[in-house]
Amino acid sequence: MIQNLPWLFLVLPLLVAAIDWVVFHKCPKTAATLSILSALGTFALCVAYLSGWQTGTPDVYTWMPMASGTLSLHLGLTMDALAMRMMLVVTGIGLLVHIFSLGYMKGDSSNLSRYFAGLSIFMFSMSTIVLADNLAMTFIGWEMVGFSSYLLIGHWFHKASAADAAKKAFITNRVGDFGFLLGILLTLGVFGTLTFADMGTAVAGVTPCLLTVTVICLFCGAIGKSAQFPLHVWLPDAMEGPTPVSALIHAATMVAAGVYMMVRLQISMGTGAFTETACMVIATVGAITAVMAAIIATQQDDIKRVLAYSTLSQLGYMVMAVGLLAGEAAMFHLYTHAWFKALLFLGAGAVIVCCHHEQDIWKMGGLARRMPVTVLCFLMGTFALIAVPGFSGFFSKEAILDAAIVNHPAFFWIGAGVAAITTFYMTRLCLVAFFGSARAHGAEEAREASPTMLLPLLLLAVMAIISGYGFVADYLVPAEGFSAPGFHIGFTFYVSLGALVLGLLAAIAVYGFGKRSSDPLGNNFIATALRKRLYIDALYDKVLVGGLQQCGAHIIEFIDSALIRGLLVQGLAWLVGRVGILLSWIQCGSLRAYSCVAGLGILIIIVLIAL
Amino acid sequence: MTIPLAHYLIFSGILFSIGLAGVLIRRNILVVFMCLEMMLSAANISLVAFSRAQGTEGIPVYDAQVLSLFIVAIAAAEVSIGLALIVAMFRARRTVDSSALNTLKD
Amino acid sequence: MFESAICQIIFYVFAALAALCAIGVVAFRNPVASAMNMALSFGFTAAILFGMGAQFMGIVQLIVYAGAILVLFLFIVMMLDVKAEEHSGLMPMVVGVVVASVFAGIVTHVALHLPGAGDNACPVLTACENIDALAVTDEPKAETPAAKPTGFGGSLPQLNSTAANLAANPGMSPEAAAAATGYPDVKLLGKTLFTQYNIAFVILSFALLSGTVGAVALARKIRKD
Repeated sequence: MIQNLPWLFLVLPLLVAAIDWVVFHKCPKTAATLSILSALGTFALCVAYLSGWQTGTPDVYTWMPMASGTLSLHLGLTMDALAMRMMLVVTGIGLLVHIFSLGYMKGDSSNLSRYFAGLSIFMFSMSTIVLADNLAMTFIGWEMVGFSSYLLIGHWFHKASAADAAKKAFITNRVGDFGFLLGILLTLGVFGTLTFADMGTAVAGVTPCLLTVTVICLFCGAIGKSAQFPLHVWLPDAMEGPTPVSALIHAATMVAAGVYMMVRLQISMGTGAFTETACMVIATVGAITAVMAAIIATQQDDIKRVLAYSTLSQLGYMVMAVGLLAGEAAMFHLYTHAWFKALLFLGAGAVIVCCHHEQDIWKMGGLARRMPVTVLCFLMGTFALIAVPGFSGFFSKEAILDAAIVNHPAFFWIGAGVAAITTFYMTRLCLVAFFGSARAHGAEEAREASPTMLLPLLLLAVMAIISGYGFVADYLVPAEGFSAPGFHIGFTFYVSLGALVLGLLAAIAVYGFGKRSSDPLGNNFIATALRKRLYIDALYDKVLVGGLQQCGAHIIEFIDSALIRGLLVQGLAWLVGRVGILLSWIQCGSLRAYSCVAGLGILIIIVLIAL
Repeated sequence: MTIPLAHYLIFSGILFSIGLAGVLIRRNILVVFMCLEMMLSAANISLVAFSRAQGTEGIPVYDAQVLSLFIVAIAAAEVSIGLALIVAMFRARRTVDSSALNTLKD
Repeated sequence: MFESAICQIIFYVFAALAALCAIGVVAFRNPVASAMNMALSFGFTAAILFGMGAQFMGIVQLIVYAGAILVLFLFIVMMLDVKAEEHSGLMPMVVGVVVASVFAGIVTHVALHLPGAGDNACPVLTACENIDALAVTDEPKAETPAAKPTGFGGSLPQLNSTAANLAANPGMSPEAAAAATGYPDVKLLGKTLFTQYNIAFVILSFALLSGTVGAVALARKIRKD
């Protein structure tokens, strides 16, 4: 009985989501309390399990028995260090976001029960992905996560942009999921099993070509969920949702699911299964995403969009690390990134709330004096992100760069370049938003955030600073037997320090300390292109969406007019009419004709019988 | 040597075919009816021939002849009914032309 | 032998005449002429029946067909004052002739290819065996040719009046039977009819009765009120 306690990770949030939605539809306070309690409960359970309170494998349930026992679908939990520590990140950040949401959503007119039910169902789905012991279950969580993301992005569905963003996120994810599903089926066909634990043995003897295809197909899922190029377009738009949602789902946990899944596959299949081609594809996609997103981020004005693109860029880093077979480094960065990116988003959320829901950084300014604690926390997150030595992001970025320089120097230089650009745009953000003088009415009236918002910020700020050190990381990084690399001065260190200094100096040179009221780089065609997100969204809109719609319209038009109306309705009527006219001579009513037919019939019968 | 069974059967078949042709060709419903009777009597001939062919010790099998006797009786009943119908039809439509009997068409 | 040769000639002549008269029934446009032709055709048919030794059936043919039925036809023809019918196109004619000749061809083919048609003997085979032999089956016929039923299409067996007399009169001595002249066709037919088929005969009489009643009911004038 007690060994089945981990199922609570899944059951508790799901139950709470259902209760929130069905029972406490009209009492948001109760619903919120329940959700927070469930997050707290799962977090506590997670801590208990990590501290070795209880071991033992939970039961595996057969979900869909099939004819041969090997192929049936199971529901089972993986309880290894990777999963449990990932659970800690998910439930920890989830808990903080739940608490932060109380402050952030105060006074919001929308239905808070729905919001917290969405958060809980997200916790359920994310836990399913993390704890799943087979790909089928992962896929269930995968889709559920997409669904809850849809719910939460579209929380303010009366806002057209939010509704559109929700749709965009869902549909874009579907594209990747298609590949993922193909990958799962390929896995089933090639390996004969979907269970992670059995993959290691099953991988032997599979041809590299098949392996490559399988891994790339599975990677398609990661492309969608982790918002990699070319399916990255949904993530910046997803910022239309409430900021805590952005922090939890679209920065810290859900988008990391792709990376987690790839690392999980790498561990269970063994790195040998990731052929050179597959690795190259993965690393290249990651590198392209990292570079592109970083460049676009330099010209975004919306504070959340800057953070969104930085998330994209960092996810690109992680995916690159996966492609370089440095799954441990990827998980390390995922873990540090989760803390500091959650911090950044929650900090941005606090800023936004305090500026009366103003998101444009050019309409802020001088916030450092008005809300010092929030800004300080935000700065801690920034330092972690731009890899100031000593902060958590520094260590994990070093780990990735180290892996890159060993495996593929080209990716090392790409990573270093992205680091410089990251420093540039984050410094720009901080300089413009927090220093100088207020440039808008909202910023003038900004006051320190409320305690429910500050508490998570402070906790996360602490984590952003310390989580990279061995005394924390060794216990918390989602990787088996992880040990933090710590400081070591070497080539990588100099390069990343150079990138940091370069980015800092460039940003300070261009933007000063908040004295400017508009972007000095913003008046050329490159900036315009960057503001328009390199026209990728427009391209998708025009070519893919428009084209598909046109195509669909034509097909529907064709089906409607030609097939249904023309062929089925009119065609059938015509056919019946023709046949009727054709056959009407039979119904001539003439006795002799009838007897003729009868005679012919007799003849036929006689011929059949007698001859 | 007597006449083989086949010849009786062929004669019966020819008579039947002529009747059939009459039924198909003629428009006067009375004549059509006559041809029907001819077809019945043609069937009788083959039945009697079979009764002879099946016979043992020079005695025909009389079951077949009984059957043909029944056919004659039924034919008589049929003629009485059929002619009554024709009379009734003639009263209603003033014609015995079968091609005029095409009310089924409408 | 002479007698049987006469019999054969008579059969073929009468058969040809009967067929000719039957063609006349179809060909003449005047219904009265058709009716007269039919009377002749029935007469010749009756003659053939006599030749086959089925005297009772021949008599019945004459009385019922050529007598009663034909007279009924003539009555109706005259009562209705039917005129000669006009030509009815080429198409029905062709169709009728083709159907009829195909049918006649099939019958001839079947008759000439009856099992044992080539033999002169017409051995006794049970009806079941004959039906088996005639039936079309998808399976190949029995392997050995010996299993093939022989003789159904051969000559009709001669009538044996001695055996017939013995069968007709149970108490008769064989000498008397051998001495008896004439063939007891009616007696034997009656015996079959009134023993084996007695119930069917009674039911048939009901059929005739209902036919009579039906004819009266159909032909009576329907009052307008």
